[in-house]
Amino acid sequence: MNQLVLVLFILPLLVSPLLLVLPRKARTFATVTTVSILSLISVYLYFRADETISIMLPGIVNTIIAGADVILLLYFGYIAIQRKSLLVGIMSVLQLGGVLFLLTKMPHHEANQILVDKLSLFMFLLINIVSGVIAAFAIEYIEEENCSEYRKRFFLSVIMWFIGVMNLIVSADNLEYFFLFFELTTLASYLLISFRKDEESVHNALTALWMNQIGGIAILGAIFMAVFTPGYGEITFSSLIAKAPTVGVLLPFALLAVAALIKGAQMPFSKWLLGAMVAPTPVSALLHSSTMVKIAPFVILRISPAIHNTMLAQVIIGLTAFVFLVAAISALAQDTFKRILAFSTISLLGLMCLMAAIGSEVAVVAALLLIIFHGLSKCMLFLNAGIIERIFHWKKASDMDKLGEVGPFTSLIVAVGFMSLLLPPFGAFVGKWFSLETIGAGLGNSQVAGALVISAIAIGGAVMSLLYFKVMGLIIARSGEKDKVQFESMPILFSSSMYILLALIFAGIISLPFMMGGFFAPVASDVTGLAVNVQWSKLTMMIGEAQLPIIPLFLAFLFLPLTMIIAMFVRFKGADRAKEYMCGEKVEYRLSSFYFNTEKVTPYFIAIGIIFFIGIVTVAII
Amino acid sequence: MNSIIICTIIVILAPFIGGLVYGIERKVKARMQHRVGPPILQPFYDFMKLVDKRAMIVHSAHAFLGIMHFIALWFAVAVLIFGGDFILVIYLHLMATALLIIAGYSTRSVFSHLGSNRLAISALAYEPVLILIAISVYLTTGSFEISSIFSMSTPLIAKMPLAFVALLLILPIKLKKSPFDVAEAHQEITGGAEIEYSGIFFEFLYTAKWLDYVFCYVLVYLFAANNVWLGLGLVAATFLYINALDNSTARVDYKQMLKFSMYVALPIAFINLLLTILK
Repeated sequence: MNQLVLVLFILPLLVSPLLLVLPRKARTFATVTTVSILSLISVYLYFRADETISIMLPGIVNTIIAGADVILLLYFGYIAIQRKSLLVGIMSVLQLGGVLFLLTKMPHHEANQILVDKLSLFMFLLINIVSGVIAAFAIEYIEEENCSEYRKRFFLSVIMWFIGVMNLIVSADNLEYFFLFFELTTLASYLLISFRKDEESVHNALTALWMNQIGGIAILGAIFMAVFTPGYGEITFSSLIAKAPTVGVLLPFALLAVAALIKGAQMPFSKWLLGAMVAPTPVSALLHSSTMVKIAPFVILRISPAIHNTMLAQVIIGLTAFVFLVAAISALAQDTFKRILAFSTISLLGLMCLMAAIGSEVAVVAALLLIIFHGLSKCMLFLNAGIIERIFHWKKASDMDKLGEVGPFTSLIVAVGFMSLLLPPFGAFVGKWFSLETIGAGLGNSQVAGALVISAIAIGGAVMSLLYFKVMGLIIARSGEKDKVQFESMPILFSSSMYILLALIFAGIISLPFMMGGFFAPVASDVTGLAVNVQWSKLTMMIGEAQLPIIPLFLAFLFLPLTMIIAMFVRFKGADRAKEYMCGEKVEYRLSSFYFNTEKVTPYFIAIGIIFFIGIVTVAII
Repeated sequence: MNSIIICTIIVILAPFIGGLVYGIERKVKARMQHRVGPPILQPFYDFMKLVDKRAMIVHSAHAFLGIMHFIALWFAVAVLIFGGDFILVIYLHLMATALLIIAGYSTRSVFSHLGSNRLAISALAYEPVLILIAISVYLTTGSFEISSIFSMSTPLIAKMPLAFVALLLILPIKLKKSPFDVAEAHQEITGGAEIEYSGIFFEFLYTAKWLDYVFCYVLVYLFAANNVWLGLGLVAATFLYINALDNSTARVDYKQMLKFSMYVALPIAFINLLLTILK
């Protein structure tokens, strides 16, 4: 088992430099084989590893890690000088100072640095399978990029080591290690966002860099607090969480949560993720679905046993409920397809972190469900946006009103993707858990706040569905002459990645009733440390106290996407055809949609976000 | 056992009952305007007439989505009448509406698109209010099962009158009645999402509207639950209120409708939720 876990870490890091030198065919082969192996290992590990795997690394590794920290931060400093960015410079100096200080002062314990529990195994599945599809997709996508051959190889190579680093970050137990991997993902995002090297890319990449560096400083702060708070001692996640109830100092967790929420692009730090849109599309897919931003719910889940039912958790719940609502509203104002997707990611991340922060059994199951399904759907939608760019050369949603006619397959994928985003997470499913959990937890003593959170979720969910309808509406229109649908042709790596993701989504929905008990519940009980009971009585599934009419729900889930797919193939031969009604006029027209203008209120949104972030740290100090 | 049989019968007859409601409605509305009005069975005569019409469609996917809208709505009504999960019912209803919205979008027809845009906005206007009502019901009865409402001794309307007020405010949006009939607006966008349907294919949308009547009035009835006479009274009063409103008001535009829902109906539902929590 231990060796297999090590393969997950080392293989991508080994293959990554190879991709820099291999010719095209060998590159494709190497990438596809590597990601297949990684996916298979993650599946195997998930179903075979019964116990937590902890790995003690030899002492030399600690030294290497410390050295890597320093080198990385020096590199950030170099970027700051090269790009003349003051903010990045300040952050790098602060971080470097912090690291050097900690390295000299930190007591050294013989602790497990790597700890692979159920939650890590769960994240492995998401990271390796979904990122694997993206890596394969990227080979085809980057071919048409207007850049040198070396840059193309470099792009694929970065994606590969990014996967390795993600595998490492979800298994790091030692906070020092966690800090390095966190910073490495920041580096990866900087390199990928600035890939096109134009002014906008570089500017946005620097924004991403300094914002995420604040997260790094927060982690250093957490380490500092953990070292110098009497009682904590060992700076590993596992020991901090175990000792939190007796020590009672929550500041390290608050700082970790801040770092996580910055990675998760919660307001006011949403700017970096929105800026990331300038990069080639596989980067967006990678950042949004399986890697980078998923660190946020992951870390909150990790620390949820420690913050469960505290004031700290309540402030986080408040922030994320707020973000869920306003990011959904902001999405309505957007026209660029990728920006719409980006805002919906921010919004949904808010929801995931919210449930993770609630931290009860049911909420954790819901958070896990969202993490997986959101990863699959978002990945599919972003890769699809890449296909639209490459094949049809469109970027704006309002340009796409002919997509239903020229690219029925692509438009079908968008429709199914949006529906799968809409269905499992919203409506009945999570909505109910929410209300149960938020009120059940009573939000401590302030039930008014609980009612506000519930309302935010109810409205946010409705706004979200409106958003999806709006986008779907623009891309599925066909005129009567296009009755018989003929799918457009596309390169095999494009179509096969779409089919894989579609198959995974459908398989996920169909097997949901079984997976609930066999797949999500064990992870949830590992996270919460409580037994999560999944029981059946007739058509109802009970998770703890919550009841779910799973069979009708599950039928309903399948109903909508299946209807969309069948509608593509149904033919009513007997009926006559008519032109659309136009009052007898013959005019040129373009289909359009409505937009909400949120520019005026955005500063307020950001201000409220800042207040919440200050609140997170303040309540922890009190 | 008896109740299951009764429920099954009601579900099977739901389109028929809705058709009757529609017939009575046309009569009542006409009487309010001092007209004689059509016979009560007129909706069914129309139904028979439509069957005979030549079937014309824009394209197959569009026609198919219309049929699925009807099926999904019937399913939602069935779950409601069998006393299923409240949130599930709201969600299923949203799903049925979603199919109609998507159907409207799937053609390159201007009016159809406008109608779908407005339908989506309408859904945004009433959906949060319904969810807040459902949560209040949960807090009162301790279960999301609609059947649990029937096991309470006092009717829901006595416990949370504000929720009923909120429901009354959004029902015209859901039933596409004036002043909130922007989604249909015959004089303006000639019926919106349903414009491209005709003949046998329009039949499904036509009957789906009847099902919507059943859905809405059953929701109203829930506020009385066990008290049959109170329930019938509530339904009759709501019926008169909606028709009087429809007759006496002019259409507002969709922004005004959304604002009304966000600033009036939703706060009322929210206050109701607060009161339920604090009780």
